[in-house]
Amino acid sequence: MADVVPLLKEKVAEVLRAMLPLVGIVVALQLGLVHAPSAVFVQFVVGSLLAIVGMVLIFIGVEIGILPMGRFIGAELPRKGSLMLIVAVSFSLGFATTVAEPDVLVLAQQVDVASDGAISERSVLYVIALGVGVFAALAMARIIWGVSMKLLLTLAFGTALALSFFAPPEFVPMAYDAGSVTTGVLTTPVVISLALGLSAVLAGRSAVSDGFGLLGFGSIGPIIAVLIMGIVAG
Amino acid sequence: MTSEIVDTLLTTARGVFAAVGPLVVLFLVFQVFLLDLPRSDVRRILVGTVAAAAGLFLFLLGVGIGFLPFGRLIGEALATMPAQWLLGIFGAVLGFVTAFSEPAVRILADEVDTASNGAIPPRLVIYTICIGVAVWVGLGLLRIAYEIPLTWLLVPGYSIVIVLFWLCDKDFVSIAIDAGGVTTGPMANTFLLALALGLAAATGDRDPLLYGLGLVALIALAPIMSLVALGSLVRRKTRTKRSKEDAEYIAHREHSA
Repeated sequence: MADVVPLLKEKVAEVLRAMLPLVGIVVALQLGLVHAPSAVFVQFVVGSLLAIVGMVLIFIGVEIGILPMGRFIGAELPRKGSLMLIVAVSFSLGFATTVAEPDVLVLAQQVDVASDGAISERSVLYVIALGVGVFAALAMARIIWGVSMKLLLTLAFGTALALSFFAPPEFVPMAYDAGSVTTGVLTTPVVISLALGLSAVLAGRSAVSDGFGLLGFGSIGPIIAVLIMGIVAG
Repeated sequence: MTSEIVDTLLTTARGVFAAVGPLVVLFLVFQVFLLDLPRSDVRRILVGTVAAAAGLFLFLLGVGIGFLPFGRLIGEALATMPAQWLLGIFGAVLGFVTAFSEPAVRILADEVDTASNGAIPPRLVIYTICIGVAVWVGLGLLRIAYEIPLTWLLVPGYSIVIVLFWLCDKDFVSIAIDAGGVTTGPMANTFLLALALGLAAATGDRDPLLYGLGLVALIALAPIMSLVALGSLVRRKTRTKRSKEDAEYIAHREHSA
């Protein structure tokens, strides 16, 4: 673990570069426009420091632990597993990380309220998680079968757009917001490195065009799922 | 006040546990049944995961106690702007710096750099994402001020994206889709969401929830559009370059013959 010090230095510099513009703008707004009570401003400064320390730890942890984890699993899957196993793992990873996500719970409550209780919170939660799971599995199967991402995306977004015209208007923002639920900071590197690992061991796959897209494609599932629930409820 | 802090601590801890739990279970199942990695690798992975989880806890806590309340105050202050079009400019600046500070955006950009062997540098990805978010958060705040329905922005936005998919270099299509996911991370989802809620609540009779959520939907669209736009430019450039090189080659051969 002698390599920790240069890694730490590099990550601290990166985090400061990332955070300082935002902190600077907020401080400028405080002085020029917001004039918040000093207690709230002190809270902001403390919060920024916590966020900076936290981000350094995230980056170091991702580099030494999370990325290798995804890469090992991604490289091993096609060697020892069948197509069914790969698709099953993608599905369960998508489902499990979504069902546990706090953002999804909040969203599920909103759909419950918007539908006047016609669609229960619990059913929304499972439908969204199912949407993520199915689309993550589809995206993984796509890499194996070599189907074009453009075609899949056009069909998926086309379906979502078409459904937007039929769903009750209050469901539309909720649906597109549901698309942002699959974005856990730690899920991101695992899923990406898993897909990169998989595309690296399959012959004739491009690291970039096949390794990416899995994460984002999973997020179209919940958009379509919520729109359909809206149409059913309305 | 104390119970509020305890509440925040508990919710944050639960969120982190929910994010890390499934990953650790998946890894351990794989380790036992398929991977059988040496102990030192397992230890390194678990140490890294614990560090990342602790970092996520601190990060979310910091965003929750620092950026969430301040975002709301900024939103309320922006509502008092003398000219509403100024919201577009403030939105663009805040959108840019927020996306710039989103941890998963950087993780994605680094992975793209590694996977493309440096052909697509991380800075290109990060700045393209930030520019996209700047444009759409600017539009998103104007939408709140002028009460424009969300579908008027989403439908043309996604239609343009679908067309650009077919003009775009296919590497950028995949990166763009993932970028849409990572950009709506914890910073955008709390800070900008709180800002939109504060603005919508302070401008009068808007339903804050509807307008706040709409902003997140636009932030998810933003980097997809800017990256496929970049990908379309890149493809045009490489195409013209290639056909020029071909022409030179043919001319050269004809000349020597």
